[in-house]
Amino acid sequence: MSAAEQIDPSIDHYLAEFSRVERDLPGSDDSKRTRSTELKRFADAGFPTTRDEQWKYTSLQAVEKRRFEISDEPAAIDKSALDAFMPADFEAHRLVLVDGHFSQALSDLSGLPDGVTVRSFAAHLRENDGVDVRAREIDDEPGSIAAMNAAFFTDGAYVETASGAVLDKPLHVICVSSGAHDDRMTQVRHRYVFGDNSQATIVEHAIGLGDKAYFANVVTEALMGRNAQMTRVRLQQESERGYHVSAFFGQQRRDSRIYNHAFDLGGRLARIDTNSRLVDQNAEVHLNGVFVPTGRQHMDNHTTIDHDTEHSVSREHYKGVAAGHGRGVFNGRILIRKDAQKTDSDLSCDALLLSDKAEVDAKPELEIYADDVTAGHGSTVGQLDEDAVFYLKSRGVSEEGARAILTYSFANALVEQLGIASIERYVEAAMLKKLPGGEAFADLA
Amino acid sequence: MISIKNLHAEVEGKPILRGVDLEIPDGEVHAIMGPNGSGKSTLASILAGREEYEVTQGSVTYKGQELLEMDAEERACEGVFLGFQYPVEIPGVSNLYLLRAALNARRKYRGEPEIDAVEFMQMAQEKIGHVGMSMEMAKRGVNEDFSGGEKKRNEIFQMLMLEPSLAVLDETDSGLDIDALKVVSDGINRLRSPERSVVLVTHYKRLLEHCVPDRIHVLYQGQIVRSGGPELADTLEAEGYANLETDEAAATS
Repeated sequence: MSAAEQIDPSIDHYLAEFSRVERDLPGSDDSKRTRSTELKRFADAGFPTTRDEQWKYTSLQAVEKRRFEISDEPAAIDKSALDAFMPADFEAHRLVLVDGHFSQALSDLSGLPDGVTVRSFAAHLRENDGVDVRAREIDDEPGSIAAMNAAFFTDGAYVETASGAVLDKPLHVICVSSGAHDDRMTQVRHRYVFGDNSQATIVEHAIGLGDKAYFANVVTEALMGRNAQMTRVRLQQESERGYHVSAFFGQQRRDSRIYNHAFDLGGRLARIDTNSRLVDQNAEVHLNGVFVPTGRQHMDNHTTIDHDTEHSVSREHYKGVAAGHGRGVFNGRILIRKDAQKTDSDLSCDALLLSDKAEVDAKPELEIYADDVTAGHGSTVGQLDEDAVFYLKSRGVSEEGARAILTYSFANALVEQLGIASIERYVEAAMLKKLPGGEAFADLA
Repeated sequence: MISIKNLHAEVEGKPILRGVDLEIPDGEVHAIMGPNGSGKSTLASILAGREEYEVTQGSVTYKGQELLEMDAEERACEGVFLGFQYPVEIPGVSNLYLLRAALNARRKYRGEPEIDAVEFMQMAQEKIGHVGMSMEMAKRGVNEDFSGGEKKRNEIFQMLMLEPSLAVLDETDSGLDIDALKVVSDGINRLRSPERSVVLVTHYKRLLEHCVPDRIHVLYQGQIVRSGGPELADTLEAEGYANLETDEAAATS
């Protein structure tokens, strides 16, 4: 019997799991057919392996060998445990999901401005037969894990802005995995539909509690109308037993802008795919990311910016800080198609290694088929400046403290581009707390 | 204050200091002069605890303790301050933050509570005026986008805030216009007291006119080859370091 004919026990489990939960998954009969198609796509491809070029540095074996199950209902969570993850002085509308289910009790969606809809994606699917579980405008969501999400997702945030609508304050979308039971999976999908000239800031916050292993698989689809603007913050603080895979698919029409800021601090393993397709003129995308693998954490960022037509702009800057045995990966792909003349693009990744055992692989990947474009790229991997370490020590700061302060300085320039002071402070304090000796300097943030 | 005996040091196997002897009593200001490559900056760095240099022989006693056995941060907490020839920039970390962290490190070392925020700001307000900088600058990142002169003023500001027992200033006067030089020398003079000592590493007599030292030592090829009073600066300016070799030969014969 050839390998292909063997029934993969892992895939078998998910086929059975799908049968178990299928009836309860939200969506019309049409969308259930989509779910089945996506399940088949996942089953045929299986989990990606390191033989796959896109997964060369990241093994999902630890995920594959477990048998994750959907939580039929959310676990009761300790409110104070959740409060510890709330940024101070952050004024926001709030949508909370626990173990993949919308929590009315923990959410606060009162006072949304006219023209802005924010609700449970499951509720939206149940009430609108015409809505599919996959945004049809995004023709191809690559990857079997995104397909798995389309098959299984239980809920998420659905945001729709009418033409010209502006969300008055950020929306905080909190996705909690309770970690209360062994081997649960959080399958969540968010969809943002921006009308022309509308604007909103959305903070997607992944939080892991408890001490049980879990798998969080999050997909976000964003459809940007003409001249619409989204600031999206991805703040990842899964627990140390959490496996996190997240994919973003943006589709940008004329003059639209996406400012995406990703901060990865948590999880045993995190794989983040961020993709945006600039399908129309003068669209602009900014991808910023800071990833901080420490201990034995593994964090892999893959991005694709697809310039489809003329005069679009992309800016991408990532910074990695790896300590302990931490492992970081950055792969930034810029695709400039034949018709995408006058594209203006710049990509960089700078990594800082704080220990001998830490490692970061950074790779820009430019594919350019147009001949009149500006496309800069660069990447660096280095260590702290020992002159600066000595400078701080000579002022009385401990060795560890000096390294924490300089690491903060390294990341700060990128973090503060976010422009939401409360989140900047929160991220920087959380980063410092992860670093040896950094806790004492958390007030730097 | 500090007693250096037969200090030998090398970097990557290359000898730099070859038996330095130096005594600096409490309350005195000593200048160390000498041509490039004579070991002046090495000596300053070793006193502050830089680890790239390997001390192969000799001892340094500071306030009765073995200085060379302490880490750089411990020396700072014991009152040693190094003014850097090339101060580093630390964007995003304000000068005031660093100073508060530095002062609190000392206080913690001495078992004292952290400095009161109001007291700290009053102290900073007062001392920043002494070096002709603004609080606006103090709130910026450490030396972030500072000019060369501003960086040196900032070193002096830090020194005045930290009130060291032993200040070692490594070419703090190099590359300064006359206004900045006055600020630097005023700062040093302000620090002078019977309990504090200062080591000025310098190339130029100019600083020593504004800040007259008790003693001047000439470091040449890793040894102190000549010592004298403030008038030695004039001799060196007139004669240069050209005939030092003969002095050294004379001293060892």
